[in-house]
Amino acid sequence: MDERASKARAAARLDGMLAPDRRRLSAASWLTALTSLLWIPQAALVAGQLAALIADEDPFPGPLVASVAFFAIGILRAVLSSIAGGMAFAVADTTLSRERAKMLKEQARRSPVVAGRNSSAEIASLAADKLDLVAPYLTRYAPAMARTRVVPLAILAISFAVSWIVGVILLVAGPLIPVFMALVGMAARDASERQMQEIGGMNALLLERIQALTDLRLLDAVGRTVDDFEAAADRLRRQTMEVLRIAFLSSTVLELFAAIGVALVAVYVGFALIGELRFGAWATPLTAGEGIFLLLLAPDFFQPLRDLAAAWHDKASALAVAGEIAEMECGHEMPMLGAGASTAPLSGSARIVTRDLLWTTPGGRKIHFPDIRVEAGESLAITGRSGSGKTTLLALLAGLAPATDGKIEVAGVHLDDEIADAWRARLGWIGQAPHFFNESLRANLLLSAQDRDDARLSQAIAKASAEGIVAALPRGLDTQLGETGHGVSGGEARRLMIARALYSDADVVLADEPTADLDEATAKAVTEGLLALASRGTTLIVATHDMELAGRLDRIVELENAE
Amino acid sequence: MKTLLPIIRRIWSHEWWALLRGTALAMLVLIAGIALLGLSGWFITAAGLAGVAGAGIAFDVFRPSAGVRFLALGRTAARYGERILTHDATLRSLARLRVQLLAALANTPFARLPALRASEQLNRLTRDVDALDGVALRLLIPIVSALTAVALTAAVLRFLVDPRVVTWLLSTYVPGSALALVFVAWRSRKPSRSGQLALNAFRMRFVDLLRARADLAVSGKLATRMEHVTAAEARMRAAVARTDRIERTGGIILSVTESAAAAGALLAGAMLAKTGSIDPARAALGFFAALALAEMLGPLRRGMAEIGRMTDAARRVNRLLATGENSADRIDEWPPTTRRDSPALVMRDVRFMHPGAEAPVLDRFELKIGAGEIVALVGPSGSGKSTILHLAARMLDPDEGQVEILGIAARKWSEPALREAVALLPQRSALLSGTIRDALALARPDIDDREAWSALTAVALDRAVQERGGVDSRLGESGAGLSGGERRRLALARVLLRRPSLLLLDEPTEGLDRETARNVLAGIRGYLPDATIVLASHRAAEREFADRVHYVAPAGSPAPPGN
Repeated sequence: MDERASKARAAARLDGMLAPDRRRLSAASWLTALTSLLWIPQAALVAGQLAALIADEDPFPGPLVASVAFFAIGILRAVLSSIAGGMAFAVADTTLSRERAKMLKEQARRSPVVAGRNSSAEIASLAADKLDLVAPYLTRYAPAMARTRVVPLAILAISFAVSWIVGVILLVAGPLIPVFMALVGMAARDASERQMQEIGGMNALLLERIQALTDLRLLDAVGRTVDDFEAAADRLRRQTMEVLRIAFLSSTVLELFAAIGVALVAVYVGFALIGELRFGAWATPLTAGEGIFLLLLAPDFFQPLRDLAAAWHDKASALAVAGEIAEMECGHEMPMLGAGASTAPLSGSARIVTRDLLWTTPGGRKIHFPDIRVEAGESLAITGRSGSGKTTLLALLAGLAPATDGKIEVAGVHLDDEIADAWRARLGWIGQAPHFFNESLRANLLLSAQDRDDARLSQAIAKASAEGIVAALPRGLDTQLGETGHGVSGGEARRLMIARALYSDADVVLADEPTADLDEATAKAVTEGLLALASRGTTLIVATHDMELAGRLDRIVELENAE
Repeated sequence: MKTLLPIIRRIWSHEWWALLRGTALAMLVLIAGIALLGLSGWFITAAGLAGVAGAGIAFDVFRPSAGVRFLALGRTAARYGERILTHDATLRSLARLRVQLLAALANTPFARLPALRASEQLNRLTRDVDALDGVALRLLIPIVSALTAVALTAAVLRFLVDPRVVTWLLSTYVPGSALALVFVAWRSRKPSRSGQLALNAFRMRFVDLLRARADLAVSGKLATRMEHVTAAEARMRAAVARTDRIERTGGIILSVTESAAAAGALLAGAMLAKTGSIDPARAALGFFAALALAEMLGPLRRGMAEIGRMTDAARRVNRLLATGENSADRIDEWPPTTRRDSPALVMRDVRFMHPGAEAPVLDRFELKIGAGEIVALVGPSGSGKSTILHLAARMLDPDEGQVEILGIAARKWSEPALREAVALLPQRSALLSGTIRDALALARPDIDDREAWSALTAVALDRAVQERGGVDSRLGESGAGLSGGERRRLALARVLLRRPSLLLLDEPTEGLDRETARNVLAGIRGYLPDATIVLASHRAAEREFADRVHYVAPAGSPAPPGN
């Protein structure tokens, strides 16, 4: 991919992210600039006091009033700065939340048939962890930028008004900083992008390894996995240090410029005060009060620039995250039909008709499906070799992916975005890879149902021959299930899924290999359960290898091998 | 603090030298900063006094201004060195901590592995460890160096300025910063913890939702689940907002402390100079030192905001480290050489009950399998076929009775030797993303093409892999891109490559059609002509393949005659 284009896309994405709150953000930013400017009267108060002491005069205002005023302005600054911080925080909060909602909305509807460009864990980590890296850009970088625009100019103007030499010193030392910063910024961005990729890659690698710990131990591969991870962790450390070294180097150089600038001002003021230098100020010689005032202001001329440099990395990180989001969004991943919300079921008889159905796999393989016509209450077996598209066909019928070409008609209407939810309200789904939520078994079984009816649930469990499984779990239906099912074998998980489909009020059930992983007796029981559904009038479409099961259904459709 | 101590000890024990130097440099930075500002203020004021007195020529400008330059440059250099040293040391110790955590996790007993939530564990290794990076950088080092700097400054100022000014500075800075630190640490504990919990919930629910989106869409629960995710996000936002408020309040306390200290120093200096107890230059020195002391509060501001997050993360990290260290499955001795003539697997009077279950899975179970035999274990689901295989692979230990593997008591095997001799294909095995070669290399790190192809041929996967572009073609997350049956066969190829003496297969031909199943089984025998093979089986093809069928009766029911 063209690097410049992807950088431009990242910048545009970041810009779009902030657009709705730009005004609030700039209000917060300008408020911090105002806060910084309050140092000027404080410096004037101090300079007045010290000058009076030097001249041995009575100052106006007196020491007590001046100190109290200094303190009062200090409190005002603290409060204003806290308010500005709160405003910037609020902007960051709403911005991030908006982005998370957007990501959730888009990713939740991604078709499960097509393996996405990003793994589920990567997407979730982008939303939960990495997106947070945009916040410092809003709460630190933007205010620092505003201060950089205002404070140095104000101090420069005051300095020129008092002493042109001090003005010139600041004018020369100041602009060097942004020039250097731009150079450093470019290097920092590249380094930080590499670091981000390393983090993402490492997390994905780790998650997979943790999920596969049982296998890794059985294959005696734990030691190697830990070694691999150690290497990855070390790579990440080196990459992070690379980013930090650039950041530290840049801030060191800035500090150096600032220190030299302030030291030059101090030396000039010192020489002018003892009378060695008789030029450089408008009203010669420079008074002690003016000198101290200038010296107090000089560090604050550089401070916003240093803040900005310290926050420069925040911009690089934010851009890197924005780039990653943009890349994820431009994957053109296929959405499923409908919103997946619960609605009133589609009316009409549950007839399913497909015509010239075509599916193109992400690899470009084309699968032509034979035309199917299933009347309400009919049962159909879909058979075919592994990879012939049985699972895909079921997904197409459930609206979980849009067909590449051809038509699907359900209950007399064309299956599209509009009616997908209503159609699915009549469906039961028994997928091939059961996923259990981190909740009780009961909650997992009740997933598709509107209400809880324990008696009916026990019936459904009995029909799926799953009573033994529930009884064997430590806390029965109240057992918490893990990611892949706590103490539940593959066959058991399948039967629990069947029980779930049985419990729901579906009048069309799509089942993907429902008897896989089951011994003959249980397979027979499950087959009976499915047939009981069919005899109740439920339309049944089953993708299966099991010829026993297929033979018990009304019809068999065999899928050809894909071309 | 008690929770943080073990972490500090871990970081310290390996990196103490770098940290010690880093802390020394940090002190140097603070002291140089205070000296710099104090000296500059004194210098300007003294120069002003000399100018007023007409003693300009006699005033030594060179030594103070050289001191200013030296301090400015030295401080900048020290800061760069300090940052590099401490960050590198911290990152190193965190990388080490991550590796220790993964190793601890890998030591989890087999029985508990399925219940692990991988994404939750991933957080331990990534996010929690990340949260600990501030323990040394923004808490320990700043506090130690700030205390030293304050003590030193107080001693010097007492001598140079006036004890009363020192008293004022100490009585503002010490209680003020302590108050801010304690306030923030105390108040942010709860929101930090609940924020972390909400974040975990958000990430987990997000991943859950993405993984189960097919199920959810069909049951019309996608929209509801999205709200569920959003609810966690809202809790997370609330906690973060609360932390931000607390942190800003802490910031106000610090700012007020600084202002009070500086205003008081100004007033005290002016009064003392007026009465003639000190000269105006020393009064200026006191004020400027007060301003400079504020600098040491900078890193503490960030550190204190993180205290809650750090202790919360440390708590979980400590717990995982402790369980990992205690619960390793320890197998003690390296076994004597196995005897060819002894039976491959013997179980005598074995009883096994899952923890928390009501009834044992196996009770008074007997089994004897001769070397080189192929035995199919059959029996209804839940009768304990998988448990027998797990006992034979020592993933579980029997509650009573003996298990002998290849003539040696199971308890006497060392883990590496056992994994060398015994291989198990679990019912569900995890594949990792990467190439097919990577998948196979998990079993044999030094695998070459010939070995890879011969294993793939044995499981009848050679054609499919060729079609996909050979052993270097890539697989997606958990083997995505392969069909269920292909995944099963790839996992099987992995197990075959271990070339075990005892091969345990849990439903090996699941998801394969009859013809492929037969080919695969024949391929297994061809690949391992001498191995003893035990299958947990429910398919006719597997039973036909076996030399002998062993019926496993559910515990409590009598075995059928003739077995």
